[in-house]
Amino acid sequence: MTIFLQLVASGVAVGMIYAAIAFGYQLTFATSKTLNFGQGEALALGALFGLTLVPFTGYWLMIPLVLVFGLALGAVVERLAVRPAIKIKSEYGWIMATIALGIIFKNVAENVWGRDDLKFPSPLPETAIEIAGIRVLPMEILIVAGALLMMACVEIFNRKSIWGKAVVATSNDIDAAGLMGIDTKRVITLSYSISAMTAAFAGVLVAPVTLTGATMGAVLALKAFAVAIIGGLESGLGVIVGGLILGIAETLTGFYISTGYKDVPGLILLLVVLSIRPVGLFGKAVIKKV
Amino acid sequence: MLEVQDLHAGYGQVEVLHGLSFSVPKGQVVTLIGSNGAGKTTTMRALSGMIRPRGGTIRLNGRDIAGLDSHAVAREGLAHSPEGRRVFPTLSVEDNLTLGAFPRLTGARPKGDVAADRERAFTLFPRLRERRNQLAGTLSGGEQQMLAMGRALMLRPDILLLDEPSMGLAPKLVEEVFRIIRQLKEERVTMLLVEQFAMAALGVADHAYVLENGRIRFQGPAAQLKSDPAVRAAYLGGH
Repeated sequence: MTIFLQLVASGVAVGMIYAAIAFGYQLTFATSKTLNFGQGEALALGALFGLTLVPFTGYWLMIPLVLVFGLALGAVVERLAVRPAIKIKSEYGWIMATIALGIIFKNVAENVWGRDDLKFPSPLPETAIEIAGIRVLPMEILIVAGALLMMACVEIFNRKSIWGKAVVATSNDIDAAGLMGIDTKRVITLSYSISAMTAAFAGVLVAPVTLTGATMGAVLALKAFAVAIIGGLESGLGVIVGGLILGIAETLTGFYISTGYKDVPGLILLLVVLSIRPVGLFGKAVIKKV
Repeated sequence: MLEVQDLHAGYGQVEVLHGLSFSVPKGQVVTLIGSNGAGKTTTMRALSGMIRPRGGTIRLNGRDIAGLDSHAVAREGLAHSPEGRRVFPTLSVEDNLTLGAFPRLTGARPKGDVAADRERAFTLFPRLRERRNQLAGTLSGGEQQMLAMGRALMLRPDILLLDEPSMGLAPKLVEEVFRIIRQLKEERVTMLLVEQFAMAALGVADHAYVLENGRIRFQGPAAQLKSDPAVRAAYLGGH
């Protein structure tokens, strides 16, 4: 039983990283019905940029700088890859363009930081602490708390600030938002900025417990995409639950079956959800009123 | 106030408006009437920048706003309460109203007292006050219409466009909508009104234009058109 709980605890930490990235997909999908397939590269760039800063600033002071870096990166992605596609009303152009931009980012990262995986210094002690018989890395607690805090902050921004309300209005009805005097193009840029910011933040959260390198985000972003589909692209709660399900399923499979099959339950879950409930576990079926 | 010259607009390959010219003087209510497909809603959409006009000029307070994006048109002082109401379903009634004042809250228009204007909207539409914290998507059709009108007024617009405010409403609510339009008229709000109930629209308007196939067929003082036998027969169903 202890082992089981132990595995669940590690699964929760992994799952929250998936949730944080999936949350980023939701933000841009809500406003523009598009998303950044280079989200994994945004995560890696955030982590590498943070790694470069750490010797000068320390871990904690590095975080706000990485958040600003993420905001800028998201704006670049939107301007270069998404806006042109939306402008010519290309239905799929943004998919190729964001993938292409992701590849370019990866190559830039390999040239700047090299192809080898780097060690990210942990800001917290690397010895596990024991809570009720379960051994947990302090960094894992930070991952869960950090991811939840970040999602809560974005949610508060959306509910309380006028620009946040403009984001929600744009998600509801982009034409009506325009009639309110809301520059919806700027709102879409803003949502891409916040989305890349969440990815960059997830990068510096996860980097101390994994290896840091240009390719570190690719698998995470793919799994987070599965989480966004499982949980529903419209539901904030959905990505948290979806992330936890996938994270826990992976650690359990890795231990009880084989690490080789670690990725299988997530994909099976994805196929099952897609065939039974295509809008996601927490998605709302869209009923258009006439 | 609003002067439209030779307006052409349409969708895709299809031109719907073939050169409309009309004007809405300050403090007056002007109505566009005509059968379905005559181009009333297209005109409204071209004025507010929801679609890009293909030709002609739209002058608001002397400035040409033709071709501007809708958010830029709103900042020039034109509020459009669109056909189908289009309230923001996942936001509260209060947030919907607040967003109507978005250009005022972000420095694009003089700020004034937004909270006081929200109170004024609640006085004009008491039902909205009761439901101020409710999500707009849970309101009835009539309440959503009140909200759409209240939200448009939150801009403190120089001109208010009302597109089919009575569409799909029960007769009693239609009366309520027209009572409010009359009240706004007394407060000297400049309005351009598109309505399926042509008789009611002519009853409240100062001036009217009759649209047919994207062109203006007749125009004149509303009271005069109301009693014109040709207009009555063709557009008012003889009522």
